[in-house]
Amino acid sequence: MPKILSYAAVQNGQPTRASLEGLSRARELAQARGAGLAAVVLAPDAEAHAEVFGRYGAQTVYAVSDPVFKTHLNTPVLEALEAVIGRAEPEVVVFPSTEGVKDVLGALAVRTGGTVLPDVSEVEVRGDGAVEGLRPVMASKFLARVRAEGAPVLVSVRAGSYEATEAPTEATVEPVPFSFDQGSLRQTLREVATSAAGAVDLSDARVVVAAGRGVKDEAGKQLVEELAEVLGAAIGASRAVVESGMFPATAQIGQTGKVVSPDLYVGVGLSGAIQHVAGMVNSRVIVAINNNPDAPIFDVATYGIVGDLYQVLPPLIAALKEQNVAV
Amino acid sequence: MKFCVCIKQVPDVTAPIQIRDGALQMDAGRVVLNAYDASAVEAALVLTEAHGGEVEVVLIGPEKATETIRKALAMGAHRATHLVVDEGAALDSHAVSELLARHFEGADCDVILTGKQAQDTDAGLAGAMLAERLGRPYATNAVGLGLDGEAVVVTRQGDTGQETIALPTPCLVTCSNDMNDPRIPNLRGVMQAKKKPLDARPVAEAPAPRVQTLGYEPLPSREPGVRLDGEPAEQAADLVRRLADASVL
Repeated sequence: MPKILSYAAVQNGQPTRASLEGLSRARELAQARGAGLAAVVLAPDAEAHAEVFGRYGAQTVYAVSDPVFKTHLNTPVLEALEAVIGRAEPEVVVFPSTEGVKDVLGALAVRTGGTVLPDVSEVEVRGDGAVEGLRPVMASKFLARVRAEGAPVLVSVRAGSYEATEAPTEATVEPVPFSFDQGSLRQTLREVATSAAGAVDLSDARVVVAAGRGVKDEAGKQLVEELAEVLGAAIGASRAVVESGMFPATAQIGQTGKVVSPDLYVGVGLSGAIQHVAGMVNSRVIVAINNNPDAPIFDVATYGIVGDLYQVLPPLIAALKEQNVAV
Repeated sequence: MKFCVCIKQVPDVTAPIQIRDGALQMDAGRVVLNAYDASAVEAALVLTEAHGGEVEVVLIGPEKATETIRKALAMGAHRATHLVVDEGAALDSHAVSELLARHFEGADCDVILTGKQAQDTDAGLAGAMLAERLGRPYATNAVGLGLDGEAVVVTRQGDTGQETIALPTPCLVTCSNDMNDPRIPNLRGVMQAKKKPLDARPVAEAPAPRVQTLGYEPLPSREPGVRLDGEPAEQAADLVRRLADASVL
């Protein structure tokens, strides 16, 4: 039976939302094609996650357990995925489009003789087995319709492109033997610095509050943090305020930084340069707060408030607090 | 240490671009050095200025891409190789990395640098594909690059933080534009660039692309937005009510 394989990234002991979205889409593709669905997970305790993937419809879970997967390094990830792809012989492998995945996709394609459709917002498998995708190009001004043939086709899917939906199945766990010789490692990890916000991955957040150049000082930053807290949001930022050092590099949203597509995105004092918009335009509801009525972010905003963030945020935070109490 | 930086000429994505019959229509004159590659060139220059060595740039592109090579030479790169392909040649990441691998096979190059992606396609595959074809260790999305003895020390932006990795040479690193601000060539650099060695080699046979681009489409349009007027307190109340109605709170 032809197989579709879905790669699940685990962060903080949980599969990421984007992984479950990818797995859900892979299940739809497998059903349409009469194919089997398998998931692959690399983690220090990969077997422990099998149940979750079964809940989303994976019939087989390839579990590769090794302490080396606690932090990201491309060499062991490549070796493990090469082994699982060799064993499962999938036609299509669906990945969430994370930095960890971007780090290995090209090399994995060369190793497995596969073809890659990176960072798609839509993916279909045609009757002849060819895979078609839509991917944003030209700083997300347009979509390119792309097509790849030949197994395996490796597809990475942008976060928020599909819903994560459950479809419980009894999953069979297949532990994949893996021994990684640290001595063979030609790269050494010296340090991992996580941002002060903890290890919450912005791309996985349901609600994002993003700060731009209008956030000028500590008081403005504090308002952004309060708004994020009351909304239960992750904090993002434009390139300008990352460069100025006010927000960490992990917070940067855009063509260069992270792609976010939360249910709610609130841009605060953020003008919306095309490079930034490229990273957030697929958010479901976009709120823009900016004192310049001509700021390009208003072109993509669902709700726009023209005003000074220092005047607008305090009553907004108060109103949200009241709403939280009421609910 | 010898650095080889792979660069690409790309359309200026800030220029007006339209779609006609599924094809992109843009001003052929509005082309630039890919911004991520410019950061890679800058990083190589900074390291060779501090530690000695040489920077060579390598570009795959049509004849007219020479101007982009001159830009990198004007920034300070020492020499260039131009792998000349036909205007409009359909090259995907697979084909590009194959051509580059042929070029670097047996070449003397300690560190290959590339931009982390090209500004036009945003695929971000060619670097890791090239490293794999050459059997080199690599790191992607570098926001910092340094040398520590014989090791190349890369700080890369990962999903939840920055990872600092040491690579032995020969290796390959793909660079983010968050790494530095590329220098603007001065007049002296521009004059010198004209005299620097540029080896143009026609590509006899380009590998067939694996990925076909069937056409281009506009982005699905968003519903027109609503401006919320009034005093800040009224705007706040109005927004909260609308967000609650949209079930996003």
